[in-house]
Amino acid sequence: MSLSGLEGRRVIVCCGSGGVGKTTISAGIALALANRGARVAVVTIDPARRLAAALGLAELGDDPRQVPIGPTGGSGELWALQLDAKATFDRLVCRHAPTPEAAERILANRIYAHLSGAVAGSQEYMAVERLNELTDDPRFEVVVLDTPPAQNALDFLDAPTRITHFIEGKSLRMLLSPGAAAGNLGWRMLHAGSSTVFSILERVTGAQLLRDLSEFLGAFDGMYTGFSERAERVRTLLHSPRAAFVVVSSADDEPVREAVMLVERLTADGYPLGPAVMNRIRPRADLPPPPRHALVEALAGAGATHADDLADRTLAQLADDEARARRDHDACTRLARLLGDREPVQVPDFADEPVEIAGLEHVADALAR
Amino acid sequence: MSAPGLFDRRLIFVLGKGGVGKSVVAATLGTAWARAGKRVVIAEVADQHRLSDLFANREETRNTPTELAPNLFGFSVDVDKSTEDYLAAHIRVRPLVDLLVRSRTFHNFAAAAPGLPELVTLGKVWELAMAVDGGRPVWDKVIVDCPATGHGIALLQTAGNVSELAAQGPVRDQAHRIEEVVKHPAATGIAIVARPEELPVTEAIDAAAALRADGFPVAATIMNGMTPRRFWAEDASVLGRVPGGDPTITAAVRSALRADHHARIEQAHLDELAAGTGTTPMVLPDLGPVVIAQSELALLADALDGAPRSLRPVGHP
Ligand SMILES: Nc1ncnc2c1ncn2[C@@H]1O[C@H](COP(=O)(O)OP(=O)(O)OP(=O)(O)O)[C@@H](O)[C@H]1O
Ligand SMILES: Nc1ncnc2c1ncn2[C@@H]1O[C@H](COP(=O)(O)OP(=O)(O)OP(=O)(O)O)[C@@H](O)[C@H]1O
Ligand SMILES: [Mg+2]
Ligand SMILES: [Mg+2]
Repeated sequence: MSLSGLEGRRVIVCCGSGGVGKTTISAGIALALANRGARVAVVTIDPARRLAAALGLAELGDDPRQVPIGPTGGSGELWALQLDAKATFDRLVCRHAPTPEAAERILANRIYAHLSGAVAGSQEYMAVERLNELTDDPRFEVVVLDTPPAQNALDFLDAPTRITHFIEGKSLRMLLSPGAAAGNLGWRMLHAGSSTVFSILERVTGAQLLRDLSEFLGAFDGMYTGFSERAERVRTLLHSPRAAFVVVSSADDEPVREAVMLVERLTADGYPLGPAVMNRIRPRADLPPPPRHALVEALAGAGATHADDLADRTLAQLADDEARARRDHDACTRLARLLGDREPVQVPDFADEPVEIAGLEHVADALAR
Repeated sequence: MSAPGLFDRRLIFVLGKGGVGKSVVAATLGTAWARAGKRVVIAEVADQHRLSDLFANREETRNTPTELAPNLFGFSVDVDKSTEDYLAAHIRVRPLVDLLVRSRTFHNFAAAAPGLPELVTLGKVWELAMAVDGGRPVWDKVIVDCPATGHGIALLQTAGNVSELAAQGPVRDQAHRIEEVVKHPAATGIAIVARPEELPVTEAIDAAAALRADGFPVAATIMNGMTPRRFWAEDASVLGRVPGGDPTITAAVRSALRADHHARIEQAHLDELAAGTGTTPMVLPDLGPVVIAQSELALLADALDGAPRSLRPVGHP
């Protein structure tokens, strides 16, 4: 590959099951591309504290920060930021509100506070919205997007539509005033113009909630088009050859299965695929184990009191390491086969977690190999 | 069994970072309690279907308990179905409920309404915990296999959020009743799972602090996947003195030293989890590169019970 598959792309999205290393690999890809001379921004989501520190993200705030890296090919730069979903949402509102007062009204609305602060949905939506902002930013040639851990790794692709629909409030209006639902005969026949549904829903939710909700929808009135245009713009970008999806997996069964599912769904939906990454792969041994007697002798010579026992434990460890390495290797082969013989890029399992720039350099090297 | 923090609580939420083993831990707790004669149900939420893998169960059930092992049941919470039940209970006009449920518009709305899917999910779990039959609780233990940390915490907080948001009316009252139960330390216990690695441990510590600050009963932590220790300090110093020469011996020694180094890091993470959460973590061993099924769950349940754990080396069936 490895990174050659990613050259010239504007946006790279790393996705995969929970805990496989999406955040680490995103940072590694960004660093590798910067090392090759590109100006790269990586959007991380919940990086480990030391990684955040290494990327200069220790303080809050979601402004891109430049990360000092070694000499790069040409004018490479690495920038990093941490997604702040609420701040991004607030900016989106301010950008599209017709007046500052209208923006204020939304930011103060209680339903908005819950919507923008909700983890489910909002984070995914804003990760995507952040792409809009960053691809518009002339400082960056490439944006690498880490994705939030979600039950369904592709939630973030659906979230914009789901949430803009909610904000548009069409569905709610249809529920509340059936007459407005042009063409929906069933509704009209049942409730011809009455507010039966409203009064019944009110019985369930209480008047306050419905009032807040209609205020909320009222405040967003007219902004929906702007929102959906932006959602649409990212969709187009993500479907274009300027984007690439990197599916990350570990050698565990679940993540491999999830990776295959992801690749299938991305392909079916017409998203461009980059290379798959197999993370935390342990190397096979290139030597046979030593003869037991030789090991016992060496250990006794080094002062072991129970050299036999220590030799047995050492040999058992060697065998375990090999069993794991074989499993990892098999998982790579299986993933390659399931992906139609496209070799996944392997990143070794580092003894020290790659949470500092030096560690990320190892990840970047492995990716670039 | 050695889960004192969870011992007398009926409703258990299993929470933790993605991939740390929440589903495996939920299944292990369930196995241990079911063996001890308790009637247990494990609730899966947010469309995961891990239990059927772990217990090789073919049946796909939604919103009905399905038997996984003696005394042990699975329950897959279906949001659509639960929303329908909820509406049916509150809107007594059946044709209207049917109309809502069949309407795509309503589904779109319900899927995006902030907190609604979480609320009906939590409501379902709460119903399981409150269910009585002939004056006795139907379930002794209701174990909830939560989604990954952020979403898991959001699930727990949703009742409080909604009761605040709605201010009055049946939705508020229901949300408030649920909130009271999930925050009550006699009824509910939250078990936070980590792996002996930096990020999962940090996330567990942060989650414990955030949940406690919100008044949730964090009852236990579980360190899953600790590598059974094989080498000790004196071994390391001997291994460090083995002279180079034979490359196969050097490789073997290196492998042992690496394992020892790794074990120390894991131990440090365990200490950090204990100190950072003020708990004594329960420890579950790493079973190596195996596919986890019922017999593995039994081994893990032994470890929870403190039974002499078989010292089966990692990776050897
Ligand atoms: N190649 C590697 N070698 C060693 N440790 C690694 C490697 N890749 C990732 N890790 C470690 O594994 C843990 C999980 O990695 P990371 O946070 O990147 O995963 P993630 O997929 O982003 O997780 P989440 O789904 O929670 O967002 C971290 O502690 C990280 O330091
Ligand atoms: N103690 C253990 N020993 C060996 N493997 C384990 C152990 N615990 C979990 N695993 C393996 O780790 C993987 C993740 O476990 P599991 O699915 O329970 O995690 P999870 O936290 O529920 O993940 P998710 O966030 O995706 O729901 C699985 O492949 C499982 O078989
Ligand atoms: Mg991450
Ligand atoms: Mg799970």
